[in-house]
Parts: sequence; C-alpha cells; structure tokens
Amino acid sequence: MERRAFKQSVYAVQEEQSALDIVQDSMMKLAEKYAQRPAEELPLLFQRILQNTIRDHFRRTKVRSTWTTLLSNLGMGGDDDDVDPLETLEVDDSTNIPSSPAAQLEQSEVMATIEEAVKALPARQREAFMLRYWEELDVSETAKVMGCSEGSVKTHCSRATHALAKVLKAKGITL
Amino acid sequence: MNEHEFAAKLKPWLDSAAQGVGEMQATKLKAARLRALDAYREPVRLYGLVPTAAGTAQAIHYGIVQRALLWLPIAALLATLAIQSMSDIDDAGDIDAQLLTQELPPDAFLDQDFRSWLAKPHG
Repeated sequence: MERRAFKQSVYAVQEEQSALDIVQDSMMKLAEKYAQRPAEELPLLFQRILQNTIRDHFRRTKVRSTWTTLLSNLGMGGDDDDVDPLETLEVDDSTNIPSSPAAQLEQSEVMATIEEAVKALPARQREAFMLRYWEELDVSETAKVMGCSEGSVKTHCSRATHALAKVLKAKGITL
Repeated sequence: MNEHEFAAKLKPWLDSAAQGVGEMQATKLKAARLRALDAYREPVRLYGLVPTAAGTAQAIHYGIVQRALLWLPIAALLATLAIQSMSDIDDAGDIDAQLLTQELPPDAFLDQDFRSWLAKPHG
C-alpha cells in the first residue's frame, strides 16, 4: 500500500524525498485523526488524505517559488531550478526480471517511458487515472476523493488514457 | 483497445514499478508505516461505558452519552447528600413541632426534674 502511495506521490511531485514526506504525513494523519472510523473506510480516507497532502505540497511550493522569484528579481539570490520531467528519465529495476540482459533492458525502457508519461500528465488527469485504474476505485469513490463530479472523473480518465496511449504509440511500445 | 482494456494492461507495469522501489525508500516507508501503526490505537470499550486506549491520552475520545455517564456517579453522590441534608432538616422540624404541641411548656425542660413546675398549682 505504502509503495503505491509513494509512487503516486513521486509521479505527482517528481521528487523522492518530498514524496516520502507526503506518504509519511498521510499515514500519520490517518492514524491520528481517523482511528475511530470503521476499517473499511480507511483505504478511501487514506487516498483522500494523500491527494490533499500532495495538493498542500504544491501550494507550499508555489508560495516558496513566489518568494524565491521575488528575491531573485531583487538580486538576492535563488537559482531557477524548475524541474523538466523529461530530463529526469529514470530506469527502474523491475521485480519481473527478464531472463536475458537485452529483454531486461527493453523492459526497463518501457517502464521508464510509462512512468515518464504518467508524470507528464496534467495533475487532475493523473490523479483520476491513478485512483480509478491503479487503486481500482469506482467512479463515485474517485469523485469523492477528488472532490469533483463523476462526469469530471470520466473525462479526466479518458483524456489521461488517450494521452498515455499516444505517448506509448509514438515510442513504438505495445503493451 | 478501449480505455479499460488499456488501463488494465498498464496496471501490471505500475505495480511492477511500485515493487521496484529502492531498498532505502522501502525501508523508510516501512518505518513510516510502523510509526503510523504505533500511533493508531483502536479504542477498547470496557463494559460499553469507558473507552480506553493503550496509547496517548489524545487517542481517547468520549461521546456525549459517555461524557454524561462519566458524570453520573458524581451526580448520584451530590443527590444523596442533598436528600440526606433535607432529611435532617425534616427531623429537626418534627422535634420542634412535638415540643410545641405537647402539654409541657418548653421552659419545663429547663427545670431540673420538673420540680419547680410540679410545685406550682395547676388548674
């Protein structure tokens, strides 16, 4: 559970330390504030807390970025270190290790392409896709977690799926 | 391939990516999970009245009914004391009433062995 949450956070914030902090904060919030809730509600609550914590991270980053830009314009330092997701292409190890090194390399490349494509999705599309198809929530549950209508969830999911398919097709990858 | 089929084919790749999280991150995540579980204490109800928790005091949350039940023994004690004191007042009132309504005047009780009172002629 925590590994999937971690990867979701990495895809969103594109930085592992922040992603670790987000997952840790989310688990603590769940444990401290929702211990009284029935066990069957906890997975959905955790997803909602996780998504809210990711949004809080973006808000804090935006405020910090505003101040950094302001100070930079005043000549008080601060480098422009915006992250380009396409420059941080990672090759991830896989547990399904293929027999041959060539196949292993190919699988790693496919994995990296998929992960980069997921990272490159707009935030709401990625959120909807992850919740709906990775966490396997239904449309109603996804809408509750995201705080939007079921129609919006369907739209976000459809756009995310088409965007991912387009990237994979462009790279010549067939699943 | 429709949306659901495509997503279903993508899911194992994402699962595999999650399983492939580095050792250091996995260890940190596991530690975070254990800390969260340590903070998580499911309340244990004792006789359906008082929820107790093995963790910190902040983990204990009382409902309105439970709060009322916790005050019940104190309320019962106060009520008993109030009834007791009212009963004492009633007893004193009865004694005074009996004293004033009987034949002997109250001054007679100050008279040693009623000698002075008995010495007086009474019609």
